[in-house]
Amino acid sequence: MKNKIEISGLQVHYGDKPALNGVSFDVHPNEILGIIGPAQSGKTTLLKVINRTLEFTPEATVQGSVKLDGVDIDTIGDVYELRRRIGMVLPLPVGLPLSIYDNVAFAPRTAGLRTKPELDEIVERCLQQAALWDEVKDRLDSLGTKLSGGQQQRLTIARALSHQPEVLCLDEFSIAIDPVTTMRIEDVLKTLQTEMTILLVTNLVQQAKRLANRTAFFLNGDLIEIDTTDVIFSENPANQATYDYVNGTFG
Amino acid sequence: MNAMTTRAERKQKFVLQGIPFIIFGIAAIPIWKALKKTDAADMQVVSPNVLSMLLNDLYILLSVSCLAILLGIVCAFYLEEWLPKNNWARRLIESHVAILTSIPSTLYGILAISIFFSYAGTLKVIDGAPPAQNTESIPFQRNTTLFCGEVLTFIFMVTPVTIKTTQEALRSVATPVREAVFALGASQWQVLRQHVVPIAFIRILAGGCRAMSRAFATAALLIGIYIWYDTTDAGGMSGRFILFLAVSLFLSVFSSSLTEVYDSDLTQRS
Ligand SMILES: Nc1ncnc2c1ncn2[C@@H]1O[C@H](COP(=O)(O)OP(=O)(O)OP(=O)(O)O)[C@@H](O)[C@H]1O
Ligand SMILES: [Mg+2]
Repeated sequence: MKNKIEISGLQVHYGDKPALNGVSFDVHPNEILGIIGPAQSGKTTLLKVINRTLEFTPEATVQGSVKLDGVDIDTIGDVYELRRRIGMVLPLPVGLPLSIYDNVAFAPRTAGLRTKPELDEIVERCLQQAALWDEVKDRLDSLGTKLSGGQQQRLTIARALSHQPEVLCLDEFSIAIDPVTTMRIEDVLKTLQTEMTILLVTNLVQQAKRLANRTAFFLNGDLIEIDTTDVIFSENPANQATYDYVNGTFG
Repeated sequence: MNAMTTRAERKQKFVLQGIPFIIFGIAAIPIWKALKKTDAADMQVVSPNVLSMLLNDLYILLSVSCLAILLGIVCAFYLEEWLPKNNWARRLIESHVAILTSIPSTLYGILAISIFFSYAGTLKVIDGAPPAQNTESIPFQRNTTLFCGEVLTFIFMVTPVTIKTTQEALRSVATPVREAVFALGASQWQVLRQHVVPIAFIRILAGGCRAMSRAFATAALLIGIYIWYDTTDAGGMSGRFILFLAVSLFLSVFSSSLTEVYDSDLTQRS
């Protein structure tokens, strides 16, 4: 089986401060990889490396390699193309000052899609998948930033799905979403798995347990352990710290 | 553009903002009349050409300051969007902009008078006896040196302020918005055109108007000083004075109403 993403020896520093110290692992195609770990462990940094948005942090330096479908992402000439292949949901919703419709249609338009029926179809599908369609279908023209926090977050999920990414990165997507809606989105993620590879960064270890095929445990910039979710959440993972964190007896 | 306020609310805001315009208009009439009266005799002699010359001056100064604003905006975009954060050129320009913007506008006026005018000997003429000219033979003589001084002062005053306000407007578009747009695969150009500029536009415009208003006020000040000496008003200076004052007031009120009416939207939009 060919790996979707191969990360080897990935080191990230912010100035002199290390954020990731030589991380290596693979992501399999069509899996949900749960990424767990306490605050400051470098999870967000890892996602930013993958879609090369860390380049906007001038003091950050990256060593090591990240390969997407066997191609080093640094050698991909068209960085915009790369970013279109990766969907990103950030922990806090960033509402673009556009209507709900335009928020979702933005990426397809950027990629050159112009026909109205096609855009309509994409917008509806993505909003459905993000469990937001029923709430907003009557007011697609109103401003996205006027939605509630949880709705805005689901809007960012719809936006990330709108360009049909190969890899979907979710960074603590459920912070602002109520449990019932979270469950609905989790169900959607499970079905999406057939179409894309999902990296799920989460602070809720139970969420990783529910969804992930494999789970990686990060601590202070180190990858402590990566294994199938069953093993990570069992009585005897390879590392004691993993057991402590998963069972809430950490620190 | 998506607005946060409804049309009715915006109308109301505009009406409220219009009050200063009206007050200014009412105040301007007696001033205008008073000035006209004192120089009634001379005005009649020179009137055929004065107005067109005045407007001519105004057009030139307006276009000069528009160019200065454009230069400032381009400069700010370059600094903010293309140069890396700790580039030496950026630091050099920014520190100079900081100095230039912190100089009070009256000081610019005084500097302009002492440098440009004394250099060209204008002050000597003013210091001596009023030029015994035949006002009928010179209907309206634009003082070229004075005018060049004005133009240069305009550029020096307008550009740095515009750089500063544009930079601030660009910065007001929060980094998360940019990163989110980039994460959707948009190019630098698309991010600028579709997100940064629409959000920052009103602020940039308001900043430009404010800078221009400052420059016109200083120009009015220069002319005001000149009027003291030019008691015959042969150069049509009092007309210029009023005109520049009016433009300056109009621009500053316009810029503040821009921010009042639209910017409350922007803070919620971004
Ligand atoms: N822009 C930045 N500038 C400097 N240091 C940063 C920056 N972003 C992150 N860091 C540092 O890098 C380290 C890893 O941060 P990161 O955001 O990747 O952690 P995280 O695992 O996502 O944490 P959380 O669970 O709180 O989101 C932290 O020590 C953090 O302080
Ligand atoms: Mg994080």
